[in-house]
Parts: sequence; C-alpha cells; structure tokens
Amino acid sequence: MNTATLDTAHSATRRTSLLGAFRAEGIKVTSVRSTWLLLGINAVGGFIVSFAVGTLVTDEVLTIAEVGFYWTVVTAVLAAISGVLMFTGEVQHGTLAPALAARPTRIDIALAKAAVATLMGAAFGAFGIVAGFCGASLSGIDAGELSAVPSTSAWAVMYTTLSALLGLGLGMIVRHGAGAVSGLLVWGFVVENLLLVFIPAEIARYLPFFAGNHLLDLDSDIDSAEAIAVALSRVQNAAVFAGYALVLLALGIAMLTRRDVD
Amino acid sequence: MISVQHLTKRYGSRSAVDDLSFEVRTGRVTGFVGPNGAGKSTTMRMMVDLTRPDAGEVRYDGERYRDVPSPARVVGAVLDARCMHPGRTARQHLRAFSALIGVASSRVDAVLAQVGLDSVADRRAGGYSLGMRQRLALAGALLADPEVLMLDEPSNGLDPDGIRWLRDLLRDHSNRGGTVFVSSHLIAELAMFADDLVVVGTGKLIVADTVRKIQQHSGRHVVVRADRLADLHQLLSSSEGADVEHVDGRLIVRNGSVGDISRRAFEHGIALTELTEKTQTLEDSLLELTRASTEFTAS
Repeated sequence: MNTATLDTAHSATRRTSLLGAFRAEGIKVTSVRSTWLLLGINAVGGFIVSFAVGTLVTDEVLTIAEVGFYWTVVTAVLAAISGVLMFTGEVQHGTLAPALAARPTRIDIALAKAAVATLMGAAFGAFGIVAGFCGASLSGIDAGELSAVPSTSAWAVMYTTLSALLGLGLGMIVRHGAGAVSGLLVWGFVVENLLLVFIPAEIARYLPFFAGNHLLDLDSDIDSAEAIAVALSRVQNAAVFAGYALVLLALGIAMLTRRDVD
Repeated sequence: MISVQHLTKRYGSRSAVDDLSFEVRTGRVTGFVGPNGAGKSTTMRMMVDLTRPDAGEVRYDGERYRDVPSPARVVGAVLDARCMHPGRTARQHLRAFSALIGVASSRVDAVLAQVGLDSVADRRAGGYSLGMRQRLALAGALLADPEVLMLDEPSNGLDPDGIRWLRDLLRDHSNRGGTVFVSSHLIAELAMFADDLVVVGTGKLIVADTVRKIQQHSGRHVVVRADRLADLHQLLSSSEGADVEHVDGRLIVRNGSVGDISRRAFEHGIALTELTEKTQTLEDSLLELTRASTEFTAS
C-alpha cells in the first residue's frame, strides 16, 4: 500500500471511530432519566410560564412574538445544566474510566461529547421556543409582529446550543455535578445580577449571560439607560457568549486529555 | 506479552509505584498480589493509560497502549465494578460501550448470556447487587473478545458459585490462548487458578515467578516448644544447614525433621511440650513476603 492509500484508510478508520464515539454518547444521553426530566421541565415550564405571563400581566401590552421567547432565558440554563451532567454523571458513576481505557485517544470522546451537546442544546432551544409560543398563544394575547420570529428563533437556538457547550466545558473542568450546577445557577441568577448593579455598563455588557440573553432581543425593563446606550449588537453578543462557551470547552478538553482518571 | 518496565508514580512525596518491572506472559493467568496500598490499582491504571506514569512504560507485544490500533480488542479491563450509571439498563450500558469500541451490537446479547445477566438485561443497573455489577462490568470487558483480560479484584461481591464461575471463565480464556492479569487479595483463591504471580508491596516488586516455584520456596517447618527452650535453640542451631528462629516462646525450625528434633532433644534430656510439623501455604508465604510492606494492620 502506498502512502496515499494508507492515509485514506487511516481517515476512514478515524471517521468510523468518531462516529462510534458519537453514537455511544448519543445512547448515553438518551438512556438517562435526567435528560428527559430536564427536557420535560423545559417544555412544561415554558408552556406554563408563557401562558401565565400572557394571562396575568395586564399592565403592559404583550405579544406572542415577545412572550414566546421569555422562557428561552431559563432554557439556556437548563441546557447548560444538561451539558454539565453529561460529563459529571460519567465521573460520578465511574463510566468515564472504562470509556477512556477503551479509547485512549481522549480527544475523540471529547469531540463526540461536544457534538452530542450541540444537538442536545439545539433540541432544548427548539422545545423551549415551541412550548413558549404554545403557552403564549393559548393565553389569548395578540400575535404582534411575527416577521422577526424565525431569525430570533435561530439566535435563541444558537444561545441554548452554546449554553450546552458551556455547561459541558464547565463540567469537564469541575468534574463534580452538584458543584458545577450550583456554581452555574449562582453565577447566572445571583452574581451576574449583582455585578450589573455595581460595575460600569461598558464592562457589564461582556458578562456571559447578560450577552447571551441579549441574543433574544427582548425589550428589557431592567436595562438602564446607560446599558442601552452601550449595548452590543446581536452578532457582538453572540461572539461574547460563544467566547465564554468555547474557552470553557477548550479548557475542559485540555484537562480531560491531560488529567489522570480515577 | 505485556512488558512493564520501570513504572513509577508519585503523589507528592509518596511513591505509589516505585520502579516496578515485570512481565505478563501470553496464554497464562497471572495473579497480581499485594496488601492494601501496595500500588496494584495504580499500576493497572497506568497499564491502560488512565494514569500517566512519572517514569517507565508498558508495552503490549512491543507497542505502547495508546499506539495499539484497537485497544479494546487487545485489553478488556475492569478496574472498578461500580462503573455503570444506575439509571441505565445493562443492555443500554453495553450498547453504548459497543458503539464506542466499534463492536457490533449483536455482541451485547452474547456477552449478557455469557455472564448470566440475560434475564435482567432490561433492568436498571441501580437495582443490581455488587455481584451482578461485577458480571456486567466483566461483560463490558468481554465485548470485543480481547486478548488480555485485566481485572482488579473481580471476585469482590461474588458468591461462592460466582467465584467458581469467574475462575472457570478466566481459566477458559487462558486455555484458548488469552492472557489474564488479575489482582486479588484472596491469595488462596488466586493460587487455585493462577499460573504466575507478581507480588508487590509499597509499590515495589517483591517477587515475580510461577505459583509452583513460589510454593516450593514456601516449604515446611517444625514448631517446637520445650521446657529448656534456650538450650534446645542452641542445640538445633549447631547442626549444619539449620534455620532456627525463636518466635513467641517457640522455635520455628526449617530444614529439620520431627524425628531428628525429638531424638536430639531426648538425647540431651530436654522435654518437648509441642512438636508440630507445618506445611506453609502459599497464602502464608505471600503474607510473610509482604508483611514488611503492609501499610495498614490491625493492632
């Protein structure tokens, strides 16, 4: 066999091998209850919250086009949690070691996990949006301007997809499910909100979930005039959030490939 | 053949494995023996690249583990029987593993039957006993029909029937030309089916040899108690090739016979209160070998 034939054979083997790792990760994710539980919470929560907002908020004019995306803020967090659990569940239950012993090229497993997290994040986004729109529609509010819904949906799915990758990266770094999930929740719901009060808007716009949530382009009552004045464009917000997600993922992969596994 | 050369692993100032070298021969069952903290598990983890050694290397027929094209077809390792998600069924667990290592999913049913879990294959692993988990972990190792089976304490949690089944399975693997490398603290159990032993203590090699040779070294000894023990000690020590040790108010005489000891004691008017010939088991001799390196002992 000449070098070109060998290279082709090697590439084919590697493709098959990566596909196998991807299938394995797919089976793992779909065979644990936590994935379905989080998806269920996402769908039911999205429906209930959107319906409740549409029904109960009467002091301002809301539209389906707007309320349908409110839940995506929570969907992004749920996607990140599922990304965390995808890795920390393996560490906790000891399934990582046999997988890495059987596949010493750890980067294959990391890439397969990232690919599955991408699909999972997109699925969370899509389910959340559908649930949000169903709830908002049934609440009886006006449809509003629907022309931007497809593009906002695409940004929203991108947000939840990147959130799942961010969660996966965080899980790979922390390796402890409860620690990573509580850290994520505290950061997203407490620390960032406190920082928004205390740091200048020029810096606050670079906070991860602040940037991520602005991908949804919702009219925010809590944004100060100063924050609105220095607001980033959607593409810039996407770049900021993607930066956090990809840096965490890269750090996580680097740690997975270098660390000893118990 | 697996060749372990100068393997070393340190955690801070503590050496978990210290310049350890041995070979595991093809087609044989090799027992890996040592007290708790001897470095057995760390060594096994280094053998499958889960832990990076500070020095030394492991080669499988001359190749490093990470360079072996299909590692799962070369080594089936079970280093922790708890390695399964409690929410997954045995079948789901093995289907994921078969996809990962590139083995047809039809093998899943075959190995489930081989380890006797076919009737509970669709039950979640969280409800399994430790013995069932051991069997499931072993099924994972057998999926790719590997040349080498590497098992860390595989009989933990198995009932006597299970232990016999495991022994037969490992022996059968070896009879078919496969290699078995198995750690256990049940030395008597290992002695029943292992061909070779690698004995370690505090991370260092103590002895690596065939079970038969180690048993030959074990030998017999005679335990003697007498009214004038010091005189008898002196008397027996004076004979050529004698190996006499005074332990806890009795003499341990190696290379001596009951007849010779009683005759000489009688000739010198020493009354014997005990004269027992003991054959040292493999367990006795291995415990003796590892006693100095036992990290944890009961008071």
